[in-house]
Amino acid sequence: MTAMMTVFMTINGTETEPLEVPEDLMLLEFLHEYLNLTGTRYGCGQGVCRACAVIHDGPMGARVVPACVTGVAWAHGRAFRTVEGHADRDEEGNVTAVTPVQQAFLDHFSFQCSYCTPGFVAAAQALVERLEVDPVPAEDVENVVLEALNENICRCTGYVRYLEATRDVILATPGLTIGDGRAEGS
Amino acid sequence: MRTVLRVLAGLVLLGVIVAVVIFFGFTGAGPVPPASRDLEALDEETRAEMVSLGEYVAKAGDCAACHESEDGLALAGGTPMETLMGTVYGTNITPSEAHGIGDYSPDDLYRAMVYGIAPGGRRLYPAMPYTSYHAVSREDIDALYVYLMAQEPVEKPNRDADMAFPFNIRPLIAFWNLIYRPDPPEGPGPGLSAGEKLADTGRGAYLVDVLGHCGECHTPRNLAFAKTGEHLGGTVIEGAVAPDITPQGLAGRGWTETDLSQFLSTGLSPQGVMTFRMFPVLSHSTKYLPERDIEAVSAYLAQDMPEPSEPPSDPDAIDAHPEGHRLYVGLCAGCHGTNGSGQPSGSVPMVGNTTLMLDNPLNLQRVILEGIPARQLSGHLRMQEMPAFDATLAEAELEDLSGYLRARWGVDAIAMQDQ
Repeated sequence: MTAMMTVFMTINGTETEPLEVPEDLMLLEFLHEYLNLTGTRYGCGQGVCRACAVIHDGPMGARVVPACVTGVAWAHGRAFRTVEGHADRDEEGNVTAVTPVQQAFLDHFSFQCSYCTPGFVAAAQALVERLEVDPVPAEDVENVVLEALNENICRCTGYVRYLEATRDVILATPGLTIGDGRAEGS
Repeated sequence: MRTVLRVLAGLVLLGVIVAVVIFFGFTGAGPVPPASRDLEALDEETRAEMVSLGEYVAKAGDCAACHESEDGLALAGGTPMETLMGTVYGTNITPSEAHGIGDYSPDDLYRAMVYGIAPGGRRLYPAMPYTSYHAVSREDIDALYVYLMAQEPVEKPNRDADMAFPFNIRPLIAFWNLIYRPDPPEGPGPGLSAGEKLADTGRGAYLVDVLGHCGECHTPRNLAFAKTGEHLGGTVIEGAVAPDITPQGLAGRGWTETDLSQFLSTGLSPQGVMTFRMFPVLSHSTKYLPERDIEAVSAYLAQDMPEPSEPPSDPDAIDAHPEGHRLYVGLCAGCHGTNGSGQPSGSVPMVGNTTLMLDNPLNLQRVILEGIPARQLSGHLRMQEMPAFDATLAEAELEDLSGYLRARWGVDAIAMQDQ
């Protein structure tokens, strides 16, 4: 008999009702089965492929966590953003405007099957928000993007398009970089 | 007054004379047995055999553990070894004339390995494990010599040792040798070249205590940094616990002879995966040992071993450590399982885990904070990365989590069982 526990958390800005769940339930299952938020994807189930990545909004700012191996026992009382929570929506819940990261992924045709996309959206968005607080020299952006997205696996191998899209958003957004990354050789 | 001064001066003079006599008379290289054969006049077949045996001596002796370069050249030198007295760097042992051992004779290599004396009388720091290598057979050193001289020279300068005063005065090592170096070498055995003639336990002892120099990390050291009599009894070295690998220590943590063989040949056993400075031992050394030698090593380590303990498990720890349990279920159980069973190639089991059963929580806490990189073990065997939790866990949470793990499946669960 699995022990139960009562949990609540803030998902996409809304606090959930307290819910009685098995204590070893993973955050991904909680999103799918209890909140009907099915955009976050189940991939490897071992925290490696990052298809399940969601943003944890904590004291350190936005950080990505793998929802498939992060338990509700830890998630309890914390705030998360899933892929459903990035775009602006109207009162009926229809998307009115996607984020610059999402728009760049569309413009660059970054994905084909899209299974990995929610994880890439989370990782790129968390990077953009980190750079708002802690900008990097423009010439380092490619490395910083690679480092931030390197763990996300895309079986359609859209990597270059994801990386280029993220780089372009960062270079086009004032305040994320220091200096002009296009000064030399690019 | 004058008499007192004279007596004092006389005593000082006597002391100096004794020191000089000791220095030159007793702490240089001891006897050097004649070369096993004329290495200048080898026929092609013998040379090839010696290169192949020498390569095996180099692997079983894990030269690369310290003599690897920063960019992964096995013998070019550069690996730092941090001690309380300072840092020494593994030297270039490729046949470079300028930087390596290109101008060594076979006798020079014997003196360096067995006595810690380099050509010109320069004394090596005992970081070079000559107190373990002291019983390497002349045949094996000759084979090693032929192998090393057959390698490509790498023109890479050595990095000077960075030792604090007075440990930076190398001649003083003479007095350390006087006390701590076993002279003359205790019965240099027939060595690996003896093949089948070396009985299995003898071969195991030779591989563990002499060539493998396991005691250099696993045996506690005294204030003079010399190995103590608690052979393989476990200690802290370079910021990690090198566990107790005596038969009693191993049996107490549930190791069997079969587990040891599996661990040494693949880096992985029911007790866990190789970590810290033990992982390179797999990739440089133990994975190359043929089955017969792995078994000889395990048989020697498990000699007269008591009945191994069953993996401890204490479910009461859940109620006794509610915060630690919550952290385990929230951050660890996704991979290691709610019941601690682990996943093949993904995560090691907590049940039976050797790190949880060490008295000192150092390794456990470092693994939680730093994670473990993905490992290519031997053959097809891999382990995925364990992420670092240093940015996730506050200090008190780390204590809660490690306290829970040790109480549920580790050293404190053993204590509960024994009550």
